[in-house]
Amino acid sequence: MSYAYFFGCVIPSRYPGIEYAVRWVMGPEGLKLDVSDIEEFSCCPVPGIFYSTDRDTWLALAARNLCLAQKNKSEIVTVCNGCFSSLLKATEYLSEPKVMGQTNKVLSKIGMKYTGIPERVEGSNRRVFRPVSVRHFVGIVHTDETMKALSESIKRPLKNIKVAVHYGCHYLRPTENTAIDDPNDPIKVDDIVKILGAESIEYDDKLACCGAGGGVRSHIVELANALTEDKFKNISNENADVIVTPCPFCLLQFDTAQKSFTKRGIPVVHVAQLMAIAMGADLSKLGLELHNVSCNPLLAKIGVTEVSR
Amino acid sequence: MGEVEKVFISGLREKLIEDKVITEQDLVPEFASEIIRYGGKDVMTCLQCGNCTGVCPISLKIEYKTRTTIKYCQFGMKSHTLSTRWVCATCYRCYEHCPADLNPAELMIALRHIAVREGIVPPFVKTAASNLLRYGLTVKPDEAMLKEREQLGLPQAAITKPGWERVKKDINTIIETTKYDRLLGITNKEEGE
Amino acid sequence: MEASPETKQPEKEVIGVFVCHCGTNIGGVVNCEKVAEIASQIPGVVVSKDLKYACSDLGQEEIRKAIKEKGLNRVVVASCSPRLHEYTFKNCVEGAGLNPYFMHMVNLREQCSWVHMKEPELATGKAANLVKMGIERSRLSTALSPREVTVEPSCLIIGGGIAGIQAALDIGDKGFKTYLVEKEPSIGGHMAQLDKTFPTGDCAICILAPKMVEVARNKNVEMLSYSEVVDIQGYVGNFTVKIRKKPRYVMEEKCVGCGVCAEKCPVKVPNEFDMGFGSRKAIYVPFPQAVPLKYTIDRENCLHFKTGKCQLCVKACVNEAIDHKQEPEEIELKVGTVIVATGFDVYTPTRKGVYRYWEYKNVITALELERLINAAGPTGGHLVRPSDGVEPQRIAFIQCVGSRNLKIANKYCSRVCCMYAMKNSQIIMEHSPDAEIAIYYNDIRAFGKGFEELYHRVREDYGIEFIRGRPAKLTKDPVTENITIRAEETLLAKITEREFDLVVLSVGLIPNPGTAPVQKMLSLPVSDDGFLAESHPKLRPVETAIEGVFICGCAQGPKDIPDSVAQAKAAASAASTLMIKGKHIVEPLYANVNEELCVGCGLCAELCPYHAIEIAEKDGQSKAVVTEALCHGCGTCAAGCPQHAINQLQFTDQQLMNELTAALAAKNSAGGE
Repeated sequence: MSYAYFFGCVIPSRYPGIEYAVRWVMGPEGLKLDVSDIEEFSCCPVPGIFYSTDRDTWLALAARNLCLAQKNKSEIVTVCNGCFSSLLKATEYLSEPKVMGQTNKVLSKIGMKYTGIPERVEGSNRRVFRPVSVRHFVGIVHTDETMKALSESIKRPLKNIKVAVHYGCHYLRPTENTAIDDPNDPIKVDDIVKILGAESIEYDDKLACCGAGGGVRSHIVELANALTEDKFKNISNENADVIVTPCPFCLLQFDTAQKSFTKRGIPVVHVAQLMAIAMGADLSKLGLELHNVSCNPLLAKIGVTEVSR
Repeated sequence: MGEVEKVFISGLREKLIEDKVITEQDLVPEFASEIIRYGGKDVMTCLQCGNCTGVCPISLKIEYKTRTTIKYCQFGMKSHTLSTRWVCATCYRCYEHCPADLNPAELMIALRHIAVREGIVPPFVKTAASNLLRYGLTVKPDEAMLKEREQLGLPQAAITKPGWERVKKDINTIIETTKYDRLLGITNKEEGE
Repeated sequence: MEASPETKQPEKEVIGVFVCHCGTNIGGVVNCEKVAEIASQIPGVVVSKDLKYACSDLGQEEIRKAIKEKGLNRVVVASCSPRLHEYTFKNCVEGAGLNPYFMHMVNLREQCSWVHMKEPELATGKAANLVKMGIERSRLSTALSPREVTVEPSCLIIGGGIAGIQAALDIGDKGFKTYLVEKEPSIGGHMAQLDKTFPTGDCAICILAPKMVEVARNKNVEMLSYSEVVDIQGYVGNFTVKIRKKPRYVMEEKCVGCGVCAEKCPVKVPNEFDMGFGSRKAIYVPFPQAVPLKYTIDRENCLHFKTGKCQLCVKACVNEAIDHKQEPEEIELKVGTVIVATGFDVYTPTRKGVYRYWEYKNVITALELERLINAAGPTGGHLVRPSDGVEPQRIAFIQCVGSRNLKIANKYCSRVCCMYAMKNSQIIMEHSPDAEIAIYYNDIRAFGKGFEELYHRVREDYGIEFIRGRPAKLTKDPVTENITIRAEETLLAKITEREFDLVVLSVGLIPNPGTAPVQKMLSLPVSDDGFLAESHPKLRPVETAIEGVFICGCAQGPKDIPDSVAQAKAAASAASTLMIKGKHIVEPLYANVNEELCVGCGLCAELCPYHAIEIAEKDGQSKAVVTEALCHGCGTCAAGCPQHAINQLQFTDQQLMNELTAALAAKNSAGGE
C-alpha cells in the first residue's frame, strides 16, 4: 500500500517548511517510503468550522478527499491533527451504510462514490471493501521498523536539547472510538524525540490544549492566547529549548501567541522539522526563519550554523 | 437605604421577583431532543458531577462551565445557551475524564449546529466557509508564500494549477447540494463584486 | 412440587389460552382482547381469555375453572417471563389436576410489550404470533414427573468473612455438619480490618471476635483455614468437594499461639492485614484476635526457605510445633449444600489515574485509613500521614473512586462508601477536634437505618463539609507533600483549588479474586457487575441457578455488614430447608439420549457446561450417559449432537420445528418480506 500526502490548509499557506520537512523525511533521502501526491486534495475540511455547524456538508467534503484516495488506492498521510481527526472521523461515519448512502447522494453530483477500497478475500471470489485508511505522520513513523531506520539515519544528534512535547488534542482523541496513542499517557512523539537524541521533558498539564482549537483562536484570540500562556509557563519552568508538536495549528498558535505575553520566546517546530534537522536535511529549506519565534538559539545549541536569508 | 429596600418601597417588588425567577415561559422543553438530534446524544444522561468543568481549559479562564452548559440544556434554557459565545476548544478532555463516559464536546458541537440554524453565525465561520467556496481552501496561500515555496524547492501549489478549477467547482457543487451556503448566508463572490 | 396427579399422555389436545394484561405492563401496549380473539380461532383451542392479572388468585382461579369445566389438557399462559411465574402457573394447573408440564408460558412482557412500547399495533401482531407459536409447541408437550434425590445433611461454606461465619453458625446450630473454608490463615475477612462500623460506631473487631470464637467452638463446624477449594463435582444434595490445605509449616494441633517464635524470627515484612503500613514477622498471625490462633510461616520470606539455615523459631518453640517439611494436604468431602461467601476486594486505583494514588504518598485508600485509625493498627489508632508521620489537619475524602464509573466499567454504586467516609470523618474528628474535613461527593446515599441520622450528625456535631463535585486534578506540593485538589464545586458553579494534608480515596468494592475459580467450578452465573447472580433479584435473593448452591454477602454484590449478616442467615436457612427435608425434587427437563442414534463421539460430554454427560460402555459400545440430577436442561448437547441423538425434554426438535413453522406461517400470512 502506498501513501498519499495530505497537507491541508495551514501547512502550505503558513508553514511550507513543514511540507518540505515531511517530504524530505519520508522521501528517498530519509525513510524511503512510497508516498505520492494527489493534487485534487482540498480542505479536510476544518472540524472547528464544518463539523461544528453542519455534519452533512462536513462529511461530503471529507468524503470527496477520501474518494480521491480510494481511486488511488492510497493510505492518507496527514501531518495535521485537525486533518487527521476530520478525515478519520469521516471514515467512521461512513462505515454506517445509511450515512454512506446519504453522502453518496451528494457525491453523485460531482461524479464520485465512496465505497472503501475493494479487496479480494484471499482464496475466494468474495470482495470486501476496506475503509480508506487515514494515518497520522507520527503513527507512520512510530513503527519498530521505521524507528530503527530513523535511529540509523541520525546525522546531527540533538544532544542536551530539552524538548517540550505538545501532542495536541485531536492527536490524543481523533474520534470517539479510535486512539492511536494512549489519550491519557501518550508516548509516540516522546519516543521519536528521544531517538533523535534529545531529552523529552515532563511538564505540568502536558496534555492541556494549546487554546486554538474549536474556533477559539479565530473567535476570541485573547482567550486562546491565555491558554497558551498557561502552557508556556509550565514549559518555560522546565527550561525547554524547543516546543515540538505534531500539529501545524498548535504550532501556529504557540508561534504567534508567544509575542502577546513574553519577550523571551521558546522556538516551536513540527516534529517532522525536528526529525529533518537531526537527520541532516538542508537547514535553509526547513522554513525555520518563517517562524515568528526565532529558531536560531535552538540551532546554535544543536551546534549548527544559524540560518538567515 | 439599601438597594432592595428602595425597590420594595417603590412598589417594584413584583418586578424584582419576576426577573429572578425562571418560569416555564423562559424554557424550551424540546431543546434537549433537538440537541440529541444534532449529535449531543448524552445531554440527559449527565449527572452533573462537574468533572468536565474541572478538566476544561476554558472553564478555568472565563465564566463558562461545561457542566452548567449541560444543565441549561437539560433544563431547556435555549436562548440563554445559544447566546453563549463559541468557546469550546473541542479538546475532548471532558470526554476523556467523564466517569459516565459521556461526550460533552459533541454536545457543544450540537449547540453550534442549532445556533447557526437560529441565524447565530460567528463571522469567522462565514469567512472560512466563504474562503472554501472561493479558493477551494479555507486558508489561501498569498503571493509571498507562493514565492517562499518556490525558494524551498517545493512542488508548485496545486491551487495555482489549472486543474484546481475543477476542485473548486466540485466543492461549490457539494456546498450548494447540502444548502450550506444558504444556511450560513455565504456566496462564492469576492466581497465588493 | 409433589408427585404429579396425571402422567398419562392425553390423546387429543384441548387447549386453553390465557392472555395476561399484567395491569398496563402488557395491556398498555398489546391489545390483549384481540390476541385472545385470534388465538380462539386456532384448531384445538376451546378457551381463550384475557385476564387482568393471570398470576393473581382471581386469575389462577379462572385458569383452574377452565381446566375443570372444559377438560383442558394444554394450558398456554401468555404473560411475563417464565423466570418470574412459571412456578406459579405450574402449581396452578397442577391444583386443577393437570400435569404441570402441560402448561406452557409465552413471554409477552419482556419480549414484546416492554421492547415495543412505541409500536402498539405491531406489538399486538407479534404477541398474536408468539401465542400461536406457543400453542403449536404445546401440542407436543409431554407429561413428566419430577425426580427425587437425597440430600446429604452437610454444608460447605466458602469464605470465612462475616457472611460465611454467620452462615456457619446458623447451620451448625441447626445440627448440620458444616465445613467453613477460608483461604487466609485466619477467618474474619475484611470486617476484621475495619475500625468502627457505621452508623452506630460499634468497634468492628469487638463485635466480630466473639462470633469468630463461637464458630471455632461450634462442634458441628469444622474450620478449614489457610485452605482452598480446588474442585467441586456433583449436584444438589450430593457434592464431592476437594480442598487443598496449604502448609502453615506449623502443626495446628501443637501450636498454642504463644508467639515466642515470632519474637525470635529475624525477618520483618510489611503486614498485608495492615495494608502494608505495619510490619509482621515471617512467622506470624495476621492480627491478635486471629482464629484459629495458630502461627503460619510465610514461605516467600522465611530465611530457612531462602538459605536453608536460621530455624530460630524451631529452637524457640517449646511445643515443637514447627515443621518446615509440611506438605499441602488434600481433603475430600461429601456435602449436600454449598454456600458461596467469597466476599469482595477493594478497588485499586489505576497506576495512571488522575488521583495519583501510586505517585503521591499522601493519597491513600479508605481501607488503608481504616488501619491507620484503628486502635489495634500499626499506629495505635493515631492518624498520621504516610509522607512524614505528622498528624494531618486538613483531610479530604473523594467519593465514588472505582464506583459509578463507566470508564473502568464499574457502573454500579458500591453502597458503603458514603457511609464509611462519614463514619471515618467522625472518628477522625473525635480524635482531633481541630481537624477540617471535606467530602467531595456526587450524590450522598444514606438510605439505611440510622444512615441519614449519621449524615446529619457529622454536619451538626463536627462541621464536616460536603462538596458536591468530582475532583478533576490533584497536585502535590514538592516540599510539604500537601495535596491540592482542583474541582468544580458544582453547587457554586465555581472551580476551586484547595490544599489538604491527606486525601482519602473512597474506593468501591469489586468481586474478590477468589470468587472466579469457585464460580467456574460451580458454573454459577455472574451479573453484569461481575458479582455472582442470584436466581431472582427480589424473590430468590440467595438462591442461584445451580440448585443446592447459595450465595450471601459481598460475593453477590456490594453491601454493608447488616445486609451481609441478614443474607447469610437467609442462605443458611435456604440450605437448611433442603437438608431438613433430606430429599429434593429435580426438574425433569433433562437431556435424553437416543442410544440407537448415539455413536459415542463424546462431543456432548465436551460441550456440557455442567459435566453432566459421560461416555460409558454399554453392550460393548460407547454411548453418552446423562446424569439427570446434574443436567440443567440447557440444551447445549442437543444442539451440538451431530447425530441428532439427544433430545431435550420439553424442547424436542419436533416441538421447536412446530414453533418455527407457526412463526414462519405467521410471517407469510402477514405479507412479510
